[in-house]
Amino acid sequence: MSVFNIIFTYKEGLFLGLLVTLKLCLVIWFSGIVIGTLLGYLSAKYRSEIGISTKIIAFILSGIPVLVLLFWLHYPIQAMLEIVIDPFYTAAFALSLINIFAVSEMVRSALNNFPTQYNLAAKVCGLSQKETFIKIELPIIFRQIIPSLLSLQVTMLQLTLFASLISVEEIFRVAQRINSLIYKPIEIYSALAIFFLIICLPLNGLAMWLKYKFTRDISEQ
Amino acid sequence: MLSGKNLTKKYQGREILKGINIVVKPGKITSLIGASGSGKTTLLRVLSMLDLPDSGSITFDKEEYNFPKDRDNIINPYPKISIVFQQLFLFPHLTLRQNILLPLRNNVDEKLIEELIDVLQMREFIDRHPNQVSIGQRQRVAIARALALKPEYLLLDEITSSLDVEQVDAVLNYLLKLKEGGMGILIVTHLLNFAEKASDTIVFLDEGNVIETGGRGILENPNHPRIKKFLSIIKAVS
Repeated sequence: MSVFNIIFTYKEGLFLGLLVTLKLCLVIWFSGIVIGTLLGYLSAKYRSEIGISTKIIAFILSGIPVLVLLFWLHYPIQAMLEIVIDPFYTAAFALSLINIFAVSEMVRSALNNFPTQYNLAAKVCGLSQKETFIKIELPIIFRQIIPSLLSLQVTMLQLTLFASLISVEEIFRVAQRINSLIYKPIEIYSALAIFFLIICLPLNGLAMWLKYKFTRDISEQ
Repeated sequence: MLSGKNLTKKYQGREILKGINIVVKPGKITSLIGASGSGKTTLLRVLSMLDLPDSGSITFDKEEYNFPKDRDNIINPYPKISIVFQQLFLFPHLTLRQNILLPLRNNVDEKLIEELIDVLQMREFIDRHPNQVSIGQRQRVAIARALALKPEYLLLDEITSSLDVEQVDAVLNYLLKLKEGGMGILIVTHLLNFAEKASDTIVFLDEGNVIETGGRGILENPNHPRIKKFLSIIKAVS
């Protein structure tokens, strides 16, 4: 059985697994980018009230392996609280949490390190604060963080594989099931690798291109 | 008139301006000359109210602001006052043309823009980004960006440092034309020839104090020994 035969034979199962992976990704990407950006902005604006606590949480989260966090949220905490949550939501929550704080740190740092000379130049040019934010700060910050933001989202996509370990029926788990039926690990995992390459490589390529295009010397000294 | 009286400014406990008096009159060019660290750039920033003085007063547009009392009562003076910074601060995500046009919003004076592009010889590179041109080319764009705003007062901090002789001459002639049109101009410069040709008034600054003020003649016959020494060093070097 070739790779394409396997894909064709188990297309429905793979398709459903793919849908779950993409659904998980969309939740993680959307929450990470929207809430993370907002949190990053608030952290930069209210440094002592919000900034310090988000920095501490982001620091702690960066020290916890994803798998440990996922298992901890799936087993002990649910046992302690005597609740049962669909593993999809547990995985979505755990990975979103990581994404939110990673994005928030990215945005916070970009805002805190924004070269103030551009604000001065904008002020002297007679631009209002709103105009300065929309026409100067936002585009410069966007260009600064977009390559690393894209790379982070690719990493988050790859991390969704861990969801299979708490029984989320995403594409990796489906592949494992198919393998347990026909035992063709080379073909099955090659197909999986091709799937991830098709999605991740263009995103990584785009991130590299944007980095090349946008991260010009903004110090301009 | 744009003027400052008894202006003082401290940074990190160090007194940079020690009670300075300065006047920039409409239709006149004033040059500010002094050694590095004498407070020229600080004075320019304080007079334009980008940095507020610790004490003293600034008069602009018939309004007198006394510091520190009026810190929060300043009516936005920009772009009636415009500044060209030594470090230029062009917006890196915009082309040079966009850098000039952005502050104008919808009030673009096409004729003036074209005139500036020609006078400052920018046509060849005007649609590039700041990182794609030389410092001298950026310097010309920064000057054009300030001039396109048609300010009443123009403050220029070492704007000719990266220009060649021909370009310095073009800038000088254009500033003289603007002066004739009534613009008040304050120039920080190390170029004595430039100051001599352009200025109506020359102000020497040393360690945060104005040590001598006068017409062009004081470049030839200064009274203060500190200026004599400073000018002799510049002349020897050039």
